[in-house]
Amino acid sequence: MKRREAVSRLVLGSVAGAAAALPFGIARVLAPPLEAAPHTRIPLPGALPDPDQFARACIGCGLCGEVCPPRCVLFYQREGGSLANTPYINPEQKGCILCGLCMEVCPTDALTLMPIEDVDMGIAQIDRVACYPWVDRGVCGACVVVCPLGERAIGFDFANIYRPVVFEGCVGCGQCVEVCPEPSLPIAIVRRTEGTVAGHGV
Amino acid sequence: MNAADEQPFFLWRHLNRLRWLTLSLVFALLVLLPFLHLYQTYVAAHAYDFLAPGERLIYDAMEWLTGPFTSDPARDLDAIKGTTWSGNFFGLALSDPLALAGHIAASLSLHWAFVLSALIPVVATIIFGRFFCGWICPATFIYELNETFAAWLRRAGVPLGDRRLSKRLKYVVLGAGLVLCAVSGSVIFAAIYPPALVGREIYYAIAQGGFGVGAVFFLLTLLFDLLVARRGFCRYLCPGGALYSLLGRYRLFRIRRIVHNCNDCVKCNVVCEFGLDPMRDGFGQECNNCSACIAVCPVDALTFKVGVRDDPAQGPGHQGSAYRRRRQREDESDTGAAA
Repeated sequence: MKRREAVSRLVLGSVAGAAAALPFGIARVLAPPLEAAPHTRIPLPGALPDPDQFARACIGCGLCGEVCPPRCVLFYQREGGSLANTPYINPEQKGCILCGLCMEVCPTDALTLMPIEDVDMGIAQIDRVACYPWVDRGVCGACVVVCPLGERAIGFDFANIYRPVVFEGCVGCGQCVEVCPEPSLPIAIVRRTEGTVAGHGV
Repeated sequence: MNAADEQPFFLWRHLNRLRWLTLSLVFALLVLLPFLHLYQTYVAAHAYDFLAPGERLIYDAMEWLTGPFTSDPARDLDAIKGTTWSGNFFGLALSDPLALAGHIAASLSLHWAFVLSALIPVVATIIFGRFFCGWICPATFIYELNETFAAWLRRAGVPLGDRRLSKRLKYVVLGAGLVLCAVSGSVIFAAIYPPALVGREIYYAIAQGGFGVGAVFFLLTLLFDLLVARRGFCRYLCPGGALYSLLGRYRLFRIRRIVHNCNDCVKCNVVCEFGLDPMRDGFGQECNNCSACIAVCPVDALTFKVGVRDDPAQGPGHQGSAYRRRRQREDESDTGAAA
């Protein structure tokens, strides 16, 4: 009977399809999607601006991590969900030195080679109620000294030469976050589109 | 030359050892590269005096290894980077065709530099078939050791699974994976493809401070091989194996049986980890040219040939008892007819 045959084929096909999807399902269960704190998960230099776009382009080969001289490139594990095995930088551990090796080595278009002035990993944001000089608790300037881009990215406030101020030229490499001595880390890298944290401005 | 005198080229029977050498070398390289990367980061940081004793040991060992070849390790050691999923080899970018397929499916676009990096593997697969699975894949190295372990367990009397599933299942896995890549918007093959997992997890374990989720999945595949089907993941589930099988369907180099020499001893069928049927000329697109059957053949009845198709079934081997009995019967009936 033709109809019975067609039905049994359909059933067999769907069973095979379900069995074939099983490994992917197991991999998904092993890495369920969870939200990560955005300030400790910033994109790599040259990364495609939209995170979804980046996830589509990244094949998870890990080459960016293997060439990184300061070993600042980390990889999403369980907490990444569909971003599992794609790279990020946690500036609180280690900031990017903007050497550009990861952009050069990336085999896909996930990281695009560009001059470091055009990199957009975010922008540094200083919390002026915690930063030592801003609350008159001492003299610091570590972030200004360490910045690889110099005065186009960060400088001192005109009125008080120890109070750091971030300018639009900042690319968000996160070296200032790594070096900041204040335990609560009043400096953080935020997405440009996010605007300002707690209304303190940049 | 008489066809009955045909002997295989004498080196073919040693190819299996060469294959183990390449498998071991690839695996050793995947272990060495993360250590070299650690060494590079220590050099770049000019931090020898601040290293912990363990790190200092890595530094000294890698300096001893690479010292004769490079004076600028921070830059020169970038020559070999990556895993079999995607890597750089002395300026040549090489990528797994499955990575390319997943990237195309997920992004629905072509990135030409990436397509070019997969070109050499694709062409090599069209010529040599599924050779990556047998000769390079770092997961094969572990799976074959796992298979040896399973043989010990069987000898000790532990019951292990040896189910036969449909070989076509892995093509469905490939198709389902491509669809899931497009739907989920990420290259989901990277999470289940064993060679990618192995290379990455070794890197994570050595340079990133611990195994990731992929290690758990890989352990599950090892258990699957032990408890459900012999070499089951490669044979029935691996999407990369499916892609290579399709690309290598009309491969030029394939194994052929010399029917005059064959004595039907079935050693080739037993040793074939992919469950193929060399004794009855059943190779097909699944064969990964691993040459284990050639190495095990006691009468030199298997050899390589150049051609896009397998030989059609040649019947029982001419040294085998079935063939000789049949010949004898035919002779007797001939002489009977003559009398």
